[in-house]
Amino acid sequence: MFQRISIAFLLAAACIDFAFADAPSVTAVLSNSEATVGETVELQIKVAGPGDARPPEEISIDGLEIHSTGTSRQFEIHNFSTSSSVTYNYTILPLRAGRFTIPPQTVRAGGKILRTPELALNVADAPGRPPPTTTRPGRGTQSAQSQSTNAGDLVFAELIVPKKTAYVGEIVPVQIRMGFDARVHPRLTEPPDITGQGFTAQKLQQSSQNLETINGRPFEVVTFKTAIAAARAGKFEIGPVKAKAQVVVPRKRNAPRSRSPFDLFDLDDPFSDPFFSNPFAQFGERRDIQISSDPVPLEVKPLPPNAPPSFSGAIGSFTMATDAKPKSVQVGDPITVTTTISGRGNFDRVNAPLLEDDRGWHKYPPSSKFKQDDEVGISGTKTFEMVVSPNENKQSLPLLAFSYFDPAKEQYVTLHSEQTAITVQGGAPQPAVAGQPPSSSPATAARGRPPAPNSIKPQDILYQLTEPSRTVASFEPLYTRRGFWAAQSIPLAALLVFAGWKIRRARLDDREARRIGALQHEAAELMHKLRRDDASPREYYAEASRVVRLKAALASGNRGIDPNVVDAETAAETFKLDTDSRDRLRRLFEQNDEWQYSGTHNGPGRISPENRRDVLELIENLK
Amino acid sequence: MKRSTRWIELSELDENRAAQPPKFGHRARRSRSTWPSFVAAMLAVVASTSVFAQSDTQFTKANQEFAQGHFKEAIAGYEALVRAGQWNANLFYDLGNAYFRTRDFGRAILNYERAIALDQHHPEATANLQIARDESRALELQPTRLERYLQFASINQYGIAAAIAFWVGIFGIVGLIFARRQSAALILLSILCLLVCAMAVWAIHTLDNGSRGRALAIVTGNDVQARLATADTANSVLALPPGSEIKILSTRGDWMYAALPNDLRGWIQTKNAEQVRL
Repeated sequence: MFQRISIAFLLAAACIDFAFADAPSVTAVLSNSEATVGETVELQIKVAGPGDARPPEEISIDGLEIHSTGTSRQFEIHNFSTSSSVTYNYTILPLRAGRFTIPPQTVRAGGKILRTPELALNVADAPGRPPPTTTRPGRGTQSAQSQSTNAGDLVFAELIVPKKTAYVGEIVPVQIRMGFDARVHPRLTEPPDITGQGFTAQKLQQSSQNLETINGRPFEVVTFKTAIAAARAGKFEIGPVKAKAQVVVPRKRNAPRSRSPFDLFDLDDPFSDPFFSNPFAQFGERRDIQISSDPVPLEVKPLPPNAPPSFSGAIGSFTMATDAKPKSVQVGDPITVTTTISGRGNFDRVNAPLLEDDRGWHKYPPSSKFKQDDEVGISGTKTFEMVVSPNENKQSLPLLAFSYFDPAKEQYVTLHSEQTAITVQGGAPQPAVAGQPPSSSPATAARGRPPAPNSIKPQDILYQLTEPSRTVASFEPLYTRRGFWAAQSIPLAALLVFAGWKIRRARLDDREARRIGALQHEAAELMHKLRRDDASPREYYAEASRVVRLKAALASGNRGIDPNVVDAETAAETFKLDTDSRDRLRRLFEQNDEWQYSGTHNGPGRISPENRRDVLELIENLK
Repeated sequence: MKRSTRWIELSELDENRAAQPPKFGHRARRSRSTWPSFVAAMLAVVASTSVFAQSDTQFTKANQEFAQGHFKEAIAGYEALVRAGQWNANLFYDLGNAYFRTRDFGRAILNYERAIALDQHHPEATANLQIARDESRALELQPTRLERYLQFASINQYGIAAAIAFWVGIFGIVGLIFARRQSAALILLSILCLLVCAMAVWAIHTLDNGSRGRALAIVTGNDVQARLATADTANSVLALPPGSEIKILSTRGDWMYAALPNDLRGWIQTKNAEQVRL
């Protein structure tokens, strides 16, 4: 019930709001007020407000072809406020250059007559652009068209070679432009490749990717840069550039469809398909296409003869700067000469400059590093570091020469370093006679640090050692020799002996401990029996004398006396007894002997408590 | 009584042995088998003495050739001794001097290096090596800082130290196992010795595989170029004057891949370099 009331309330509010809506209005806009011949511009006339609207009649302007491309309606509700509008779409195709005025158009809306504002369109000639047909998108896509009629209009490739003629080895920068209709979601599966023979191409570098409008259609244009160098003279064709890509194109439909605003001339624009206006209406189809450009002719001329000696194949335009450190050295000391060659050309053929006169100098192989200033390495700076050392006294560094061929001037150019003054100490004075070459022989040149100038002598090796050696040495490290490992058997044997001795000693100690334990256990048992008064005199004295023997054996310590061979004297000696105790101990052993050997005793048949106490006291005091 | 009887038997046996050669019995067999060994040992001693005497003669002759300025003949004499395996530091030093006199600085440096490899403290070889390097402008491999520190002892000295430390450590551990009381000093000593052993082994490995290790080789050819690939037409990495040091990393056919001075690497033909350690 509450829901019904709410809906009714909302509808009522909408009707009230609609009834009191603003009066109808009209606007007209051009998608672009500047255009070139053949470039389409869109005109939109929007009528906002309630009531029916009638579109303007046919718009006819000399020099412009204007076609209606459809009508769209919008109805919006914002915070219980409703609004509706109708948009009439037209496509304007300029047929010639000039300034055109689109006069006010009459529109009927809500029973009122409305007029659009006057619009101006400036049309210019197409400067350097392809004709207004689909030349560019379709150009160079023959193979793509063969695969997909629709996809052929969606991509193009362009090879731009700025020169028509070049010299052998000259680096020519090359640009590759690949355009994809922005709606096809392109994906390059194979990067562009410049086909052809007779030239080498450097690695392609992607330099930019931007959106361009071509023939009124947005294209994603990817630009690659590289450089080529002809390997031999002759006439070549550079290209075509070939690449592969995947694009999304609408599926083919059998039913007729409405024309796209871009499809003015019934060119079967694939984007007239509803897929592109409503991607969710149906799915597109991903297709592989091959893209190729037109080849570009290039004439390659050979280098002129009579190249200078320092020419290493460098072609371009270069400058050279030289520096040396240190400038004050001793004879034989190294001087690092840094040469920087900057400019534009084939830096891979730019080698280190040559010393014009290397007499009296020792030169080491130079090192080089290149820092490029662009993406393909045509321009940059190559730095060479060459170490030279004077073999004799010198006042200046030798001149460096670097030659290249300048294709603009069409002649060889040789650059020379400036004269660099240095101070060399410790060497013989340079020969004053011009033309007489100083000795460059290392054997005669002074080395190291001579004590004083003008007295340089070549350093000679030390004497022969004539004493023969009695031992034969080996290059093998000690650890690889058999003798070394055989020698390890000595400490190993010692270790085994040591371990065996330790084990034996431990066993012996263990046996002794067990023997002592057994004796102590037996003595304790016997003492326990002696304290009881149920034993016969024979047993009592036997056990008492046995305890004495055990105690004597235990007290003997390291001597290890056998308890069976202990007699009264031995026990007395072991315990160092006094005379009285010695007599008592002797009497104990005698009584035991009597009981053991005679089977009787001179005294009573039972042992008196006094005797027991006396014997126990004697035994317990044996320590 | 039994003991005296036994004594009589033995004394009789000894008298019999003195009177006539023994024919039977254990001692007789041992004596028979010892004789050939003894003879063989004596022959070996005689042969080795003969070889030494012969090599001494050859060495003296080569020295005389050198003194007379016949350096090529001297080189031939020294090389013959090298081929015979009579290696010692002085021989390689003298051979290096002979090559130096013929201005073959690459081989001169190679032999000085060999003399130093056999005797790390060979002052004459060290001095002449420096002169030869100055003459040929040879490039040297730069040892790492670690190698420089470890070079205060030779690989053999590290080997001996490792063996001693190992056995002391092992004896300590065995002593600890059988000891009634665990001595802290003995535990520390054992750990210390095993640590010393491990460090010595590590030092051996570092030095043996370092810039002056077993892979050290000397460029003996002239106009040698280290190249990027195993072809004469490949780009050059570095020009190596004779006597330059390289470290052989691997060998492929007639080419070897080597670490070069200035932290470079390149391919060199095997005929252009010789390993220091024979």
